[in-house]
Amino acid sequence: MTQIFTVTDLNERIKDRLENDPRLHDLWAQGEVSNFVHHRSGHRYFTLKDRDSQISCVLFKNQADRLGFDLKDGLNILVYGDIAVYRPQGRVQLVARGIKQDVGLGFRHLQFEALKKKLAGEGLFDLERKRALPRYPERIGIVTSPQGAALRDVLRIIGPYPARIILSPAQVQGEGAEESIVSALLALQGQTDLVIVCRGGGSTEDLWCFNSEAVARAIIGCDSPVISAVGHETDVTIADFVADMRAATPTAAAKMAVPDIGELIEGLQQSQVRMMRALWTSLERKEERLEYLRHSISARRMYSMAADARQRLDYLGERLAAALAAELGARRARLELAQGRLAAVGPRATLLRGYAVVRSNHGLILRAKDASPGEVVELILGEGRLMCRVLEIKDGSEVFLD
Amino acid sequence: MKKEEIKLEAALDDLERIVSELEEGKMGLEESLDLYEKGMKLVKLCNVRLEGAERRIESLTGEVPPDLI
Repeated sequence: MTQIFTVTDLNERIKDRLENDPRLHDLWAQGEVSNFVHHRSGHRYFTLKDRDSQISCVLFKNQADRLGFDLKDGLNILVYGDIAVYRPQGRVQLVARGIKQDVGLGFRHLQFEALKKKLAGEGLFDLERKRALPRYPERIGIVTSPQGAALRDVLRIIGPYPARIILSPAQVQGEGAEESIVSALLALQGQTDLVIVCRGGGSTEDLWCFNSEAVARAIIGCDSPVISAVGHETDVTIADFVADMRAATPTAAAKMAVPDIGELIEGLQQSQVRMMRALWTSLERKEERLEYLRHSISARRMYSMAADARQRLDYLGERLAAALAAELGARRARLELAQGRLAAVGPRATLLRGYAVVRSNHGLILRAKDASPGEVVELILGEGRLMCRVLEIKDGSEVFLD
Repeated sequence: MKKEEIKLEAALDDLERIVSELEEGKMGLEESLDLYEKGMKLVKLCNVRLEGAERRIESLTGEVPPDLI
C-alpha cells in the first residue's frame, strides 16, 4: 500500500534515520570552505566542498569562539562532528564540533586516526600484549633500507656485541613500500630473537608507509618482539603503537636492543671478584670454625677428657694387675709341672741316647764357630767326660746327622 | 655443544646463580670449589664470546652493502 507522507513527516523520517546512524557520528570530513557566513547570532554557516560535491556545515557560537583561527572562504579544513537534518529546510548538514586547518595531509590524517581507533579497539595497543625484549639477543633482524643511514646508526650502536645480524632489506618509502616492509617482516619469521623496524627522518609523506594497516598487522604477527624506530622523536606512526617497544630514533632502538658490551665485561669481572671473595669468606669462616672448635676442645673439653682418661686408666690398670697376677699364677703352676716332668726325663736320658754336650771355658758350644782351632773343649757324654782339642772348624749347615 | 653455540643469556644466568650461591656460603668447601671452578669457566667463556666476537651480518635478499662488512 502506498503511503503518502506530509513533507514534515518525510523530513522527520529522514532526520530520524540519519541522526540515529552511528556511522554518521564522530566523523571527520575534509574539504574547502565556501559561502562562509558569520551570523549575528554568533553561529557560523558555510559549505564544505571538494571537487565533485558539497555539504552544508554549521559551527555553533560556543564552539566557534574556541577556534584558534578565522574561517574564511577557500580555506582547506578538517571538520569533526555529526550529521544532522535541519527539518524546516529539509537540509542535511554537518554540525561541526571541531575544526582543524588542513595542511595538505587532511585525508591521510583522517585515515591515520581511523586506523588508530580501529586497532586500538581490537586491543592491539594494549600494554599487556607487549612482549619483553630479550636481555641478550643472539639473532637480531633488521627491517630497513640497506642504503639508509638508519641501518648504519643501528649497526654502530650494536657494535661488537656478539649477535647474528640478519638484514631483511625493505623499501621504506614511496610506491610499494608497504608491501616491501610486510614481506621483509615475514621473511624474518622463525629466524630472530628480536626485530628492529627502522628508517631515518623524512617528510610525513615519506614515513607514511609505517601508518599502514598491513604493516601494523605484520608487526603484530612477528614471532619475536619488535622495536620500531621511525623518523625522529616527534614522528609517531601506527607501527610505533603496535610495536612491542617504540624507540624515538634508530640509534635509540639499537641501544634498547643490546646491552652495553663494556658494562657486560665489567659485570663479568665483578662476578669473578665476587666469587673469589665468597670463596675466601667461606674459607675464612671454616678456619674460624676450626679455630673455635680447637679452642673449645683445649680449654673446656680436654680437661674433662683427661680426667675421664685418667680414671679409665686407673680402672684398666687395676684390671691389668689382676689379670697379670692371675696369669702369673697360672704360669708358675705350669712351670712347676714342667720342672717336675723335666726332672723325670732329665738331660741324662738324652745323652744316653748318643748325644753329647760340648763346652769350653766360655760356656756351651752350640755352633762350630763358637770354638777356635787348638782350643780344649769338654764333651759331656751319657757317662763321663772327654777333654778334646779342636783340630779344625768346619762351619756351615751342610753337616747333618741322620 | 660447541663453545660458541652456548647462549650468552644462559651462560650469564648460570653465572649469576653461581655467584649468589657462593655468596650465600651454605655449601661445603668441596662444593664451593667446584662451583667456583664452574663459575670461572663461565666467565672465561663469556669473555671469549664478548671480546672475540666478530660482527656477523647477513642479508636475506641481495648483498650486504660493502661498507657494512
